[in-house]
Amino acid sequence: MAAVIEFKNITKRFGGTVALNDVSFSIEKGEIHCLCGENGAGKSTLINLCGGVFTPTEGQILVNGREENINTIRKSEKLGFSIVHQEVPLCLNMSVAHNIFLGSAEATKGWFLNEKHMSEKTRELLDMFRLHVEPTTLLGSLSIAEQSIVQIAKAVYFKPDILILDEPTAALTNDQREVMFEVVRKLVKEHGTTVLYVSHRLEEVMMLGDRLTVLKDGKYVTTRNVSDVTMDEIVTLMVGRKIEKTEWDRSYVTNEELLTVKNLCNGKKFQNISFSLHRGEILGLAGFVGAGRTEVLSSIFGADKLDSGEVYVKGERVNIRSPKDAIRKKISMIPENRRDDGLVTSMSIRQNAQLAVMDRISSKGFLSESKSVSLMEEMINKYSIKVGGMNDMILTLSGGNQQKVVIAKWIGNDPEILLCDEPTRGIDVGAKSEVYTILKDIASHGIGILMVSSELPELINLCDRIIVMHEGRITGEIMREEATEELITRYAAAI
Amino acid sequence: MKEKRKKKQLGELGVFAVMVIIFVIMSIASPVFLKANNLINIVRQTVEIGIMAIGMTFLIIAGELDLSIGSLFATTAMFGGYLFKYEIVPPTAVFFLTLLLGILMGCVNGLLVTRVKIPSFIVTLGTMKIYRSFAYAIGDGQSIGQFPESASKSWVWSLGAKINGIPVQIFVMLALFIIAHILLKKTTYGYQVYATGGNPRAAHLSGINIKNVRLIAFAIMGFLCAVAALVSTAYLGTVTTTSGAGREMDAIAAVILGGAALSGGRGTILGTFLGAIIMATVKNGMVLLSVPVFWQDGFIGVVVILAVLVDTLFHKNDSER
Repeated sequence: MAAVIEFKNITKRFGGTVALNDVSFSIEKGEIHCLCGENGAGKSTLINLCGGVFTPTEGQILVNGREENINTIRKSEKLGFSIVHQEVPLCLNMSVAHNIFLGSAEATKGWFLNEKHMSEKTRELLDMFRLHVEPTTLLGSLSIAEQSIVQIAKAVYFKPDILILDEPTAALTNDQREVMFEVVRKLVKEHGTTVLYVSHRLEEVMMLGDRLTVLKDGKYVTTRNVSDVTMDEIVTLMVGRKIEKTEWDRSYVTNEELLTVKNLCNGKKFQNISFSLHRGEILGLAGFVGAGRTEVLSSIFGADKLDSGEVYVKGERVNIRSPKDAIRKKISMIPENRRDDGLVTSMSIRQNAQLAVMDRISSKGFLSESKSVSLMEEMINKYSIKVGGMNDMILTLSGGNQQKVVIAKWIGNDPEILLCDEPTRGIDVGAKSEVYTILKDIASHGIGILMVSSELPELINLCDRIIVMHEGRITGEIMREEATEELITRYAAAI
Repeated sequence: MKEKRKKKQLGELGVFAVMVIIFVIMSIASPVFLKANNLINIVRQTVEIGIMAIGMTFLIIAGELDLSIGSLFATTAMFGGYLFKYEIVPPTAVFFLTLLLGILMGCVNGLLVTRVKIPSFIVTLGTMKIYRSFAYAIGDGQSIGQFPESASKSWVWSLGAKINGIPVQIFVMLALFIIAHILLKKTTYGYQVYATGGNPRAAHLSGINIKNVRLIAFAIMGFLCAVAALVSTAYLGTVTTTSGAGREMDAIAAVILGGAALSGGRGTILGTFLGAIIMATVKNGMVLLSVPVFWQDGFIGVVVILAVLVDTLFHKNDSER
């Protein structure tokens, strides 16, 4: 068999972070090749290299034996790639048929749209996926699952040579998944399409795949025949690392319950979430992307609505309806997405750092320049933020220092409960360890920290206890002593 | 890092540079231009747009827009004029009632935007039409003039008078600019306005009530329209149903000339002041040079586009990281 795609010594760096490190493997014609790895293992980066979104820093990609420079999305399409991304890049304001034929020559006949052809073909396609909607239905009126099926259908219709599916089943039911697998297998058989399948659901890998490749921390681990491995073995390969827990021996956990939640529910996002956070404790919230961790955090903080459930702060029932309420109860949240939720990019470092502590830098509504400057100096020293000048624009800082500003902003608020969502996302190793020091330090001062993280070593190193979520439910609770990556991954995958 | 800071300062300087260039050209082209009388005249002609542009600055920085201000101006002017003319309440009461009406009408805009969640462009496009009808209805389609002495001899009319040859309204405008500058730069409210326009999500998560921040900005806008209406009534001694038409675009133009971003989060009161002065200077200059009046708007359009073009070049790198 000939290799359709061959990755040769691929390295991809983003600034200081290495997303892929010397990865080499090949995918053969007509196979369904699965890509496994934890969050941050480099799977998405690899896909984006195929899609022409990024180009490799080093190394070559060979397509059908020829070295290709895939530097645009168009180039990728020309080479026969078709990629179904996690997010649905379709137009919600257009009909299903128009979405499927968007950008295709088949959509038109002369100067006019060929509505008849589009709707006939769309109907056939939808029947194949057993999706009972009219071709003229607006995409926006479909459920997320249906939308993702339309996206897959669109990719399948044009019979690509290489089909890449990135977590396509995240929103699908088991039945819908079966149908999709059927269609994909048929495509492979009849058209000789090669499939690269990315999913963190290992049972799907076992069901669908011919071979699998495991990536870990941006490095290539191994390629195996699916028939030769068990799910347990895959987990071990994905994790395959001993974590030293020596870094933080001391725990500051007390018996006092700072935050208790009971039976929190929010639609399909999460159900029956109950736990308590103690004073001085760092409680981790683990799980795969989409498990509902972020939603739990933002619901507690009042940024997302709760359908039902009770929240207690220091034993007292509270009703938090907005972030403002949460802040009044001494709860702070370091949001997941620094750029979208954490920072006002049109403002300076100082203005960003003090957005949540306005009371401390003003009296009777008037800002005090001197209070503000001295508070900022205090923040810069305490969290060793490296700045040129405190009035520089926030975006002049590196990612790590931006994150420290966000953390300083929220700790400056003097919280008793700190919610943090991926506090070290997108920052380099040095800055990460500084963030760990800061978090450990504030826990030692009697603050309770609830931390969502996708980086298992980080959770294992830092947390006194870890709660694991899978598809909106808590599937496990692990004490610090028994925490291993393998155990967390098992709970997260619910196997 | 340093380079970026320089760029930002340049953005502020940009407006000033445009103004200086226009002044230099005009003083060469016309001998009358630099005379004290003419300069005072220019500032006088800035007053109406200037006062309204202050409110527009708050709104644009907060990420909103108000198209209804020309009509709001007319409604408050007609309302005040009617009360003055028919001596229904004493002039001082008229003064405060008119301001109150302006604030209320601004709040209607603000409530529709923040509570009913209709985009401000649409809300104020609607109220632009509605408020204009109100203005017509108050005067039954007719202008109001020839005010009784109870009004024209009252202190309110001193807003349109002169002290030592300098119109009082100039001082009113300057005072409002200074207060607005302090409000925007030195108070927590101003801080919240910038944050709300810069990144509403981050501001909301920081515990800022972004709805109220925007509502207050609409109220300020309404208040300032009413002030401008009272000044104009006292100065002209007459109010017309069509007054203020097109002023919304002039005010937006002044704010944009001053370096504000329509996407929110960026802008200054000083910039707006310079922007308003530029607009008045251009109009004044074209009159002095006897350029046909129909070219005025066209030329201002060119200035606006050029100024934003220059600004875009300065801020090109901002969005790239």
